[in-house]
Amino acid sequence: MNINDIVKTLDGTLVAGGESDRTVGTVVANDLMSDVLLNDGDDILLLTSLASDQAIRTANIVGAMCVVVHNAKPLPQTMCQVADTLGIPLVSSPLSKYESCVRIHDFLKAESGS
Amino acid sequence: MKFAEIAERLGGKTVVENTDGEIAAAYTSDLLSDVMGHCGDESVLITIQNHLNAIAVCTLAGIEGIVLCHDRQPPDDMIEAAKREGIGITTTSLSQFEASVKLADLRPSSR
Amino acid sequence: MEYKPTILSGGESRSDDQIMAAHERRHVRRVSGPGLPGSDGQGEPLVIMELLQRLRVKDVMRDHDIISVVRTDTMHFAQNLMKRNHISGVPVVEGKRLFGIVSINDIIMALEGGWIGDPCQKHMATNLVVLEEDMPLAFALKYFENYIFGRFPVLNKERDLVGIVSQRDVTRVLMRELTNELARLEGGAPTPGAAGEQPKSEGALPYYSMRQFVIVRNDLQNAGKAANEIKKMLGEAGVEKKIIRRIAVAAYELEINICIHSLGGSITFILDGHKATVIAKDKGPGIKDVEWALRDGTSTANDWIRSMGFGAGMGLSNSKRVADFFDIKSTVPTGTTVLCEFNLPEKA
Repeated sequence: MNINDIVKTLDGTLVAGGESDRTVGTVVANDLMSDVLLNDGDDILLLTSLASDQAIRTANIVGAMCVVVHNAKPLPQTMCQVADTLGIPLVSSPLSKYESCVRIHDFLKAESGS
Repeated sequence: MKFAEIAERLGGKTVVENTDGEIAAAYTSDLLSDVMGHCGDESVLITIQNHLNAIAVCTLAGIEGIVLCHDRQPPDDMIEAAKREGIGITTTSLSQFEASVKLADLRPSSR
Repeated sequence: MEYKPTILSGGESRSDDQIMAAHERRHVRRVSGPGLPGSDGQGEPLVIMELLQRLRVKDVMRDHDIISVVRTDTMHFAQNLMKRNHISGVPVVEGKRLFGIVSINDIIMALEGGWIGDPCQKHMATNLVVLEEDMPLAFALKYFENYIFGRFPVLNKERDLVGIVSQRDVTRVLMRELTNELARLEGGAPTPGAAGEQPKSEGALPYYSMRQFVIVRNDLQNAGKAANEIKKMLGEAGVEKKIIRRIAVAAYELEINICIHSLGGSITFILDGHKATVIAKDKGPGIKDVEWALRDGTSTANDWIRSMGFGAGMGLSNSKRVADFFDIKSTVPTGTTVLCEFNLPEKA
């Protein structure tokens, strides 16, 4: 599952951070950044409701491949700037995080099944 | 769906029962302000927020039960408040993502 | 700006400590303004002059794990401590107050005179030459030139002991800064202070690099910048990804902690040979119960902080979990210092 798949699956828009060809390794759905830092997975797709610079900085620390913010939350301009600077694709989705989890899981299941 | 069934599906340990509530929707979030803003009633909240305030938010939003992920344990004051308000609490070792996926047949909660 | 040499006088005066004082005086030469040792400050290369003024004593001093004795320790104890740690002097410290210094000369005299079993307070030198943490490095160099001492205690404005600086510390930082500066002048290299083109042994990591970041209280907008900067430095230094992540996690947690729980402070990052060190230091209010604070899920964060996605009570335990060595010291109300060390294995 790459950035394009994520955007399509979550009815989202890539708002910052640019393209990349990385694929999803681990899915983390979390809004508490300390908890995200606890994760040992690689190529993390971070599903969050936290629309702040910290979400991107945390993502960078754990080497995340993409950050998705939900409920079409307005994204602060600084957040987009940080995403651009650090080169982390930032996707805005109108879905709730729960729905994103379900859809991402279905996609990954279909992908590994095919 | 009853709260007991949710707990069973997640292999969770139920700390506070909720036998009355009927659950039709799910919401995954750790930000209480976000829960307040988006989560509707007849819902289960999938979170790691093991804080007394989570119960207050559940009461306001009409949430029937809480799934605490990553084995977060509710503190005593949270358990007391949950009992008082009739809100179920179950703990699970699963992550929020895994727990959400296991409850995929619920509808996304919204208001 | 003119710094006078600071002489710290100990509380109790005694007749035989004049030996040490006299010993000092013999080696004191004139202390004047900035300039390189052995020069009059004229015609120095600008880059070096600028560095000597820009860098402060606190940038080069050692500020943790200072080996010290208390006044009631015996001279014999001090002797063993020096022997074990290969040092030529040990400060006599209680709390943050510096009472004196026991030097190798004091030990020799004690052995000859037969008072090696006496408490240190009887024979330590109490007229001490000290540096202040905010003095430019140029002054430290002058001190080393003008006194025979191999190391100086460093005090802050409150006259608390905050570090020790040795000639080796100065040389090490100066070499690193000079290399950076030269690389920058030659173009294409990163800004001063960043890990850049440095002398490298075969495929090895840069041997020394240090950065300090000021963390402002409640400034969540900027919190995390230091950690991301540190991550970048480690990436440029070619450190293994998994280790970078551990170091960055600790730096980030500690940075956030300073931001949301303290009155402000700093993150110091040192990349030194085969070790990376993150030191988080704040200005208070200190942690009452460190054991409690280290436990998972314990937090004093308020709802505002929680709504920003922090304050889950994982900060300290997270940093401890990822570090190879972890230490925390906290005093109410003066503040908390956390030290995280990471071993950097040789790259294959």
